[in-house]
Amino acid sequence: MPPSQGSAHPFRLLGVYAALLAVIYALVFFTGDKSPTPKLGIDLQGGTRVTLTARTPDGSNPSQDSLKKAQEIIENRVNGLGVSGSEVVIDGSNIVITVPGDDSQQARALATTAKLYIRPVLAATPPQAGGAAPEAPPTGGTAPQAPPADGQDPQAPATDAPAPATDAPAPADGETTPAPQSRVFPAQAPPTPTPSPGSPTFQEQQAKEIADAKALRQSTDQAVQQVAMASMDCTVPDPLAGNDDPALPLVTCSQDGTEVFLLGPSRIDGQEIADATSGLNPQQARHEVNLEFKGSGSDAWADLTGEYLNQRVAFVLDSEVVSAPVVQQGPQLGGRTSISGSFNADSAAELANTLKYGSLPLSFQTSEAETVSATLGLSSLKAGLLAGAVGLIAVLMYCLLVYRLLGFLAGFSLVVAGFAVYGIIVLLGRWMSFTLDLAGIAGLIIGIGLTADSFVVFFERIKDEMREGRSFRSAVPRGWGRAQRTNLSGKTVSLIASVVLYLLAAGQVKGFAFTLGITTVLDVIVLYLVTAPLMMLAARSPFWAKPSVNGLGVVQQIARERGAGQVRPKEMSR
Amino acid sequence: MTNANPTGESVALDKAEPASAPHHTFLERLYTGTGGFPIISRRKFFYTLAAIFLLVSLLSIAVRGFTLGIDFTGGSRIQIPATDEITTQQVEDVYAEALGHGPVSVQRVGSGASATIQVRSEALDVAQIEQVQTALFDRFQPKDASGEVTRNAISFAEISETWGGQITQKALIALAVFVVLTMIYIAIRFERDMSIAAIVSLFFNLIVTAGIYSLVGFEVTPAAVIGLLTILGFVLYDNVVVFDKVEENTRGVLHLKKRTYAEQANLAANQTLMRSISTTVIGILPIIGMLVIAVWLLGVGTLKDLALVQLVGMIVGAYSSIFFAVPVLVSIKERWGPVATHTKKVLDKRAGIGVAPRVPVGASAGAARGPRPTDAGAPRPGSRPSGKRHKRRH
Repeated sequence: MPPSQGSAHPFRLLGVYAALLAVIYALVFFTGDKSPTPKLGIDLQGGTRVTLTARTPDGSNPSQDSLKKAQEIIENRVNGLGVSGSEVVIDGSNIVITVPGDDSQQARALATTAKLYIRPVLAATPPQAGGAAPEAPPTGGTAPQAPPADGQDPQAPATDAPAPATDAPAPADGETTPAPQSRVFPAQAPPTPTPSPGSPTFQEQQAKEIADAKALRQSTDQAVQQVAMASMDCTVPDPLAGNDDPALPLVTCSQDGTEVFLLGPSRIDGQEIADATSGLNPQQARHEVNLEFKGSGSDAWADLTGEYLNQRVAFVLDSEVVSAPVVQQGPQLGGRTSISGSFNADSAAELANTLKYGSLPLSFQTSEAETVSATLGLSSLKAGLLAGAVGLIAVLMYCLLVYRLLGFLAGFSLVVAGFAVYGIIVLLGRWMSFTLDLAGIAGLIIGIGLTADSFVVFFERIKDEMREGRSFRSAVPRGWGRAQRTNLSGKTVSLIASVVLYLLAAGQVKGFAFTLGITTVLDVIVLYLVTAPLMMLAARSPFWAKPSVNGLGVVQQIARERGAGQVRPKEMSR
Repeated sequence: MTNANPTGESVALDKAEPASAPHHTFLERLYTGTGGFPIISRRKFFYTLAAIFLLVSLLSIAVRGFTLGIDFTGGSRIQIPATDEITTQQVEDVYAEALGHGPVSVQRVGSGASATIQVRSEALDVAQIEQVQTALFDRFQPKDASGEVTRNAISFAEISETWGGQITQKALIALAVFVVLTMIYIAIRFERDMSIAAIVSLFFNLIVTAGIYSLVGFEVTPAAVIGLLTILGFVLYDNVVVFDKVEENTRGVLHLKKRTYAEQANLAANQTLMRSISTTVIGILPIIGMLVIAVWLLGVGTLKDLALVQLVGMIVGAYSSIFFAVPVLVSIKERWGPVATHTKKVLDKRAGIGVAPRVPVGASAGAARGPRPTDAGAPRPGSRPSGKRHKRRH
């Protein structure tokens, strides 16, 4: 932009900026939720943040596809919590879960990769509710040296299943399981289809659905169990999806929708599975899935297979039965078993993966889990705002000291830039779910210094021109021409820094880099549309040309000395 | 040059007597950029100083190492609102009673309503966290912001020891990319010598800031690592502003036998001295505010870590952009390319004609009399620079 434009239409440029601000704030107040508050990170409002790092067996980077899939699954689990404002985002090879509010225990439990339980099958029927089930053979039997069990009728007990609440065996391993909650059981319609995401109360609705589904399908009352089995619709998405209580019985569908099961309480947690592999059994010439349990899981498996010999056990993943083989040998000791059935290489590998990792296509390690109490969040927010205010005032004081009344111009530029930045952050929070966290506030505070520096550079350039002997009036436009170049070069470097940081760094840095980048861009805009036009206006007025006002007397003095070739001492009041 | 203590409060200034004797106070000369401080001619001194800084930093990093934060060592952190009647000893006892082993450290941080007691321990699992939380809640009945007694007033975090490493690794990649991009940018916008000088000064900053961290024993956290990166952005920004002035002053200097490149660079350094001080003060003021408030109210955390590293880095950066980057630039120029011959010619001419007493290079350039080479040849603002591209390179 040639400097002439900067000097020709100062009011027009100021008008452009005013319009820009007006547009930003019109968007803030008249669109979306109309509230002028930015979206706050959990370190400012309280909540839980869990960073999961994907681990691949060979240490390579996980594929974007598998990350996306994992994100979806975790998102489903998070939505099950019913906390509005929860988020699951992919950050490099990490998945970051943020759940606002105080319910930290549940949020942390989401980080468990496998929501897999092994439950005994108490009853199984074809689905009676919903659409026709697709034709598919049930999954086959298990056991070493067993004949293929394809299509074998499940030896399900009759419908007079023992009420598991009374004689359910204690959980096999030393795991703490949540205590069953007492519930009132309303006469229950089958679960309604999930509402479309996006409605404001989506998460609350979901939470209510889960509670309803639990009441119906996890009852210990046999009559309710019968109703649940009869009304189970395997064609709609399951609202429970991983939110079932392992300590209670469960009525659910097989993954392919061909069977409805009544399952006993969980006997083995998926975490007890040490390894699952698939392979071709050379003797039988068929694909098998080989399972290996950890120590405590081995004992539980031996107990379970002893107890349910010739009956079925179900591997339940996120509330769905992925496999329900018949136990052909028992008790199976040594913590190893194999599942065989009508597998091909792919389906065996898929089941092995599922059993190994739970539903997530990757295994994750919790890198960082942090719960911030609302109290601490509020203190942090206050501290951040206070620090920003203190910084702003300190900079203004310094500007007034060094630049006299021109310091007001610098301050004014800072304040109008601040207004724009705030509005933009509110909007970005709404549109891109950009959250302002403590690091972001730090970025803004540091941005104050950078923004003020544009003015400093400009002022120094004016000083240079005046040292050459020009008047304030002619020094301003010339100085502006030079300051432009300096500023643009400098800001480019700052912008490179922010963009690189934003794209490459991990964790909370993103917020910091983002706000720093926004302030840099805004700073350039404000420099052109506000600071420069104001200085041009000042240059034309005799008032601002007074040395007492702009503090440039001593520079003019130097210029005079040089011009006259003589030195006159002069007092300087600073 | 006062012996700058790296954590000092401002840019150390050269206290050398001015070459000529204008009747202006030190502050005035600083303010007007006519100080004539011999920065370039005393390069050896500044290099020695820089070498000392580097040596001390590297030694400290090698010998003392760093104080690593929880993100690098792994572990758990529990924070409970501190009231007057809770002592750290009590918290420690409750913790030990709940888990059967003591915490790594217990300290009271922050003040007033924001005060918390922070417990650090080895990594705990969910069940253990639950136990400690329950024990602390039962014993102290912490209140949340609204004065309600709730166990949710207790914050906790657990971090794996690989997390800090992961962040650092990403930070290093970002640093490498940033350095390359900036070098390219400066080389295009200015010239190659300047981009080399800027990067040399950037690494000087990096090492000295890290050295100060190691010496003082500030805790290294991911936030600090990141803060360091942003500092480098700021330092380069500062360098670019100074180099911009150097480029302007040295434009066409080789065509006339009036002044040497070094003298003109020195003049530029003097003229931007006030700007560098202003910039640094303006940059540092909010950061000091942030640091004071963060430590006073919160005691620890992201805000403090970021502010601290920015503060240290900015001070080092302001020093280096004037007293290190410009001398390095002149050294590069005088060693390679036509600048050295030109400088010799200028000095010979001065000595031969005897018009001017032979002055040490750059000593009084700032106070030189007579009109400076006019800027009539200066390009129109916004036009591309026509920096000399010297062909001979090392």
